[in-house]
Amino acid sequence: MRFPRFFTKKRGHRRTDSQAWGSFAEGLFYALLVGAGVVFGLLLVTGAVTYAPADPDSVVLQRGYEWWMWLLTLLMPVALLAFGGSGLVRVVRTWGKSQERRAAASGAVILEGLAGPSAGAAGRPAIPSCDNLENSPGIVLRYRLPLESPENWSLVGFGLFALLWNAVVVVLAVGVGADLIGGTTDWLLIGLLVPFVVVGVGGVALFVRSVVLSTSVGPTHVEISDHPLVPGRRYDVRLGQGGAHLFRSIELGLELEETATFRQGTDTRTQRIVVRRVPVSGWQRVQPVPGGIFEARVPLTIPADAMHSFSSENNAVQWRIVVRAQPDRWPEFIRIFPVVVLPVTAAEVGAVPESVEAMG
Amino acid sequence: MNAADSHGAAHGPAGSAPPFPRMELRFGHPGRRYEPGEWVTAEYIIDGLNGERPRALERSALWYTEGKGEEDLGVYFFERFSTPETIDRVVPEGTFALQLPPSPLSYEGVIVKIRWCIRLRIFFDTGRDHVSEHVFTVGRVPPSILP
Repeated sequence: MRFPRFFTKKRGHRRTDSQAWGSFAEGLFYALLVGAGVVFGLLLVTGAVTYAPADPDSVVLQRGYEWWMWLLTLLMPVALLAFGGSGLVRVVRTWGKSQERRAAASGAVILEGLAGPSAGAAGRPAIPSCDNLENSPGIVLRYRLPLESPENWSLVGFGLFALLWNAVVVVLAVGVGADLIGGTTDWLLIGLLVPFVVVGVGGVALFVRSVVLSTSVGPTHVEISDHPLVPGRRYDVRLGQGGAHLFRSIELGLELEETATFRQGTDTRTQRIVVRRVPVSGWQRVQPVPGGIFEARVPLTIPADAMHSFSSENNAVQWRIVVRAQPDRWPEFIRIFPVVVLPVTAAEVGAVPESVEAMG
Repeated sequence: MNAADSHGAAHGPAGSAPPFPRMELRFGHPGRRYEPGEWVTAEYIIDGLNGERPRALERSALWYTEGKGEEDLGVYFFERFSTPETIDRVVPEGTFALQLPPSPLSYEGVIVKIRWCIRLRIFFDTGRDHVSEHVFTVGRVPPSILP
């Protein structure tokens, strides 16, 4: 006799055990949530009738709750009902349906015995949209590519941390100051304040350093003669690098990055890995014109055997143009410009012109 | 023939249910390699039904991801036969054809892999089901290796 297992483990690319028992357990979980919401809500509502322990003969028939207090009190049962109810509806709707049928139903009408591709097949399924990459015209070439820089997010993170931490420091400092003015000295509070001030000053220093780093080296611009890109074709790329410093080196390249999002326990993690690097051009000891920028225009050929850009809910394959620069007295920085590469058949590779001319 | 069979819901003590059928599928191209936009033709035979009448049959063509991330799946072609008249047309053997979309192409990456396959899923009145998966390749993208 083999007992069913409600909790299954992912082995390779397939889950083990019965899908029906898994759905049953999922439905049971959501039903329990709904039940808990109902019971919790009823207890809260009927709990308006209470009695005073000091005077057991008298009963309080109405509790003096304000409207916002009722809102707060009912928040938990309503959340349980909403979460459990929506989960239960989803389980009932997908009960007994295969994985393929559920996926197809989300994008296509299923007709009895009638073959047909899912919605979106007329376009290019699973290829990311180019809208955000093509909405800015370039000065010389057709498109100016948007910058995707992790440095900007670090800057925002450092700024928020410094702001919030120092707000706590100010509250503590006001408390210490009030004590001192009142003639008392709370050594415990003062001892607590010292490390808080140290961390706060460190946070501000990190933020200021990040601001200086991101503004001192100057902006980077990349323009391209056409988009989206097709394997085997050649494009023109224009690089513009601002800044008043000497750059020991500037490198322009094309990279293919894989991104996988997975759940580890209760955490959701994302891993990124560069699986292909195509050097395009490089420059040594670059000194931008004072008040101007360093400019270069180079050809970029997409490898004929390149994988196309791909994006789904948890996985992605992305191409990007990468600029790596090493300023003379500053740390190296990397600036990333995502691009979209389309799939191409063997026949199309032979048919396309070798070069796409720049549009000025 | 590259196929993977697995079973869905199976009820009752081991050995009491009849054995699962064997589903064989043959692609029009012997190498199972197709270009995007090309037509895929497939013939299949279901053996070992032992007189048991299927409740429904599903034929689908889909891509799914493998690797480190959670599995994503996109169904491109789906057919379900669940009335006696239509089941008699497609069981125990049948053929079907579909034109592939331009994307995604099959891909053998480091942490992301994309596979195309045809799945045949048969449902029985007892509630159990059986699925057979037949992988094929779309495009000619070489595998990725770490630089």
